[in-house]
Amino acid sequence: MKYYLSLSSGREVELEVLEQGPGTARLLVDGREVAADFLDVDRLGQYAVGLDGRSYAASIEARSDTQLVVTLAGESFAVTAVDERERAAGELAASRPKAETIMASMPGIVVGLRVELGQTLEPGDPVLVLEAMKMQNEICSEHGGIVQEILVEAGESVAGNQLLVKLAPLEEEA
Amino acid sequence: MPPLRKVLIANRGEIALRILRTCREMGVDTVAVYSEADREALHVRFANEAYLLGGPAPADSYLRLDRIMEIARKTGADGIHPGFGFLAENPALVAACEEAGVAFIGPPVRAMEIMGDKLASRRAMIEAGVPVVPGTTDPAADVDEALAAAEDIGYPVMLKASAGGGGKGIRVVREPSEMESAFSTASGEAASAFGDGRMYVEKMVVEPRHIEVQVVGDRHGNCYAIGTRECSIQRRHQKLIEEAPAVNLADGVSERIQEAAVAAAKAVDYFSAGTVEFLYSRGEFYFLEMNTRLQVEHPVTEEVYGVDLVELMIRVAGGEELEDLSALEPRGHAIEVRINAEDAANNFMPSLGTVSGLRMPFGPGARVDGAVYHGMEITPYYDAMIAKLIASGADREQARRRMMRMLQELHIGGVTTSAGLAMQILQTEEFCAARADTNFVERYLEEGRAPQREFADDLEEVAAIVAALHRIHQGAAPLRRESAAGGGLSPWVAVGRQRRLAGRANR
Repeated sequence: MKYYLSLSSGREVELEVLEQGPGTARLLVDGREVAADFLDVDRLGQYAVGLDGRSYAASIEARSDTQLVVTLAGESFAVTAVDERERAAGELAASRPKAETIMASMPGIVVGLRVELGQTLEPGDPVLVLEAMKMQNEICSEHGGIVQEILVEAGESVAGNQLLVKLAPLEEEA
Repeated sequence: MPPLRKVLIANRGEIALRILRTCREMGVDTVAVYSEADREALHVRFANEAYLLGGPAPADSYLRLDRIMEIARKTGADGIHPGFGFLAENPALVAACEEAGVAFIGPPVRAMEIMGDKLASRRAMIEAGVPVVPGTTDPAADVDEALAAAEDIGYPVMLKASAGGGGKGIRVVREPSEMESAFSTASGEAASAFGDGRMYVEKMVVEPRHIEVQVVGDRHGNCYAIGTRECSIQRRHQKLIEEAPAVNLADGVSERIQEAAVAAAKAVDYFSAGTVEFLYSRGEFYFLEMNTRLQVEHPVTEEVYGVDLVELMIRVAGGEELEDLSALEPRGHAIEVRINAEDAANNFMPSLGTVSGLRMPFGPGARVDGAVYHGMEITPYYDAMIAKLIASGADREQARRRMMRMLQELHIGGVTTSAGLAMQILQTEEFCAARADTNFVERYLEEGRAPQREFADDLEEVAAIVAALHRIHQGAAPLRRESAAGGGLSPWVAVGRQRRLAGRANR
C-alpha cells in the first residue's frame, strides 16, 4: 500500500509499505528504504517509534481518518495522510465546486453576523463573530460562495459543531 | 495585625493551585471555592476546605462576591487571595474584605482604583515623573471622537478600553479607514467584559519591547523592585513566553526602569506584589500600566531571585514588615512558556476536550506550575491556560535549551496546545538575540516562514512517517479479533510486550 503525506508546510512525502509485520514495517520513503518499529504506549495516542535505529517519542491526535496531528520533539505537525485509493477518490471530488458550511468550532455566543442572504463571499471573507473563552473571533469563509441559509441570530448561544451558515458554491466561470 | 492562619483562594485553575501550594508550605489552612464545572479540579481536591459557588459561568461563580464573602465568614478565613483575573482587580472585593474584617491579600484599594483607570494612572505617573506614551487625556465615547483624537496624535494609534486589562478591548489602528470596525469590536469586547465601552487613544510606539518590573511593598512604607522581566513574545497582547531578567537593554536602562517602577508604586502608596509594565523602544521606556496583582509570569522572577512572591504577599497582608529586598541578587536566567489549550494552526481557537494522557517534564531546572491532570475536561467557560513551564539556567542560553528540552518531554493528549509554537519561537534568530518586539509573533505567523530547527533529524519527514505508521496501525487493528495469540491486544501492543519479556530473559 502507498501513502501520500502532505504537511502544512507544503511538503509532500510518498511512502510505500514494502513489508509489514506486527509492530514492524519495511518502508520506502521517497525512494529510500527505512526499517520502522512502532509501539503503542498507552493506546491514547502516545507511540514509541524507531526508524533505522533513531528513537522518537511521538503522539498523535486524529482530527479525522486522514487528518492527523503528530507531536514530535516538542512541535506539532499537521499531516494529511491518504492512501492510494483515497487519493484517487479525492481527486475526483476536488474537480467539483465546493459547498461550504460554517460551523461553530466551539461553544460560544454569536456576537455579530457579517453577511446577508444571497451575498457573494470571496475566500477569506468574514461571516460572523463568535465569542468564546472571553475572546471575540472572526469566523471566515474558506472557499467563498453564496450565502444560502443563516441559521443563527446575533446574540444567540451556540453549541460546538453547530451549523451556523450555509454557503452554496460559486458557479464556475464559463 | 496578626499573621494569617486561614486563606480563602477566590480563583481556580493554575493560579489557585499556585497560591495553595505556598499556603500549605507556610502551614496556612486553605479554603477553595469552585463552580459546578470545577468540582473535581485539583485546587478543590488539594485544599483543606472547599465550597461550591454556583454555575459554570464566571458571573454565577468566581465573580460572585456575595457568595465568596459569605464563605469567608462561614469558614473563619482571615485572608482572601484573589489570584489574577476574576475579582483580582475589583475594588469592591477590597472594600468587602475591609468591611468583613478579613485581610485582602493584595494592594490598597486606592492604588487599585488609580491603576485600574487608564487615565487616572496616566495622570498620577506624569505627576510622579514616570515617562508615559503620548495620548488622549479623556476617553473617546464614539468613533468620531476617536478619529479626532487619532488625527491629533498621528497614526498609527492604539485603541484601549478605558477599563481594560489582559489584552481585552485593545486594537491597533493604522489609518482612519480602520477606525470604525476596530472601535466597534474593541468597544464591544470592553463593554461585555468590563461594562464600560469607552476607549482611550494613544500613540503607537514603534517596534516596542515589553519590559516590566516586579515590585513588592509592605504596609510600613517599604517598596522594592525585584528585577525586570521581558514579555515581548505575545500575540494579540496575550503573552506566550516570558523571561527574567530582561537582557539586551541600553546601558543604565535596567537600573532606571526599576527606579521608575518604584516611583510609580510609591506614587499610589502601593503594598503587596505588583507589576509595572513599560514599553521599551530604542533606549527609551514608557509606562504602560500597573497590574495591581500577582502576575501570570511571576515564577521567572521567583526562580532568578530565590523568593516566593505569594509568601511575601501573605506576610504583607498579615502586617509584617519585609526584610530589605533591595539586597536580593539575581542568579542566572529563567524562561516561562504558557501552555494554552488552543490551536495555533487554526487561528488560536480554544481546543476543548478531555485531557487523555499526560507526561510532564522533570529534571534539572524544570518547574511546572499547572492544574492539569489526566481526565480533566477543558471547558469553554474559562481561560485557556492549563499549565506553565519554567526553565532556569546559569545563563539565558542554558535556560533556552532547557526549555526546549522540557517542551520535548511534555505530552498533553486529547487537546491541542500552544507548546509547539513556543518551541518554534525559542529557535528563531530574533528570540535568540533577545530583539523580538511585541509584534514579532504576529509577523512570524503571517510570514509563515520555515521553522529554524536545532535538530539533526528531519522532523517533518519523521512526522510524515509516524502519520503513515499510525494509519497502518489503525488498519491492523481488526486483526485483533482474529488473533487468539494476541489475547485481544492489538498485535502492535502484543509484540511490544513479547519483546520486553524477551529482553528481560536475555539479561
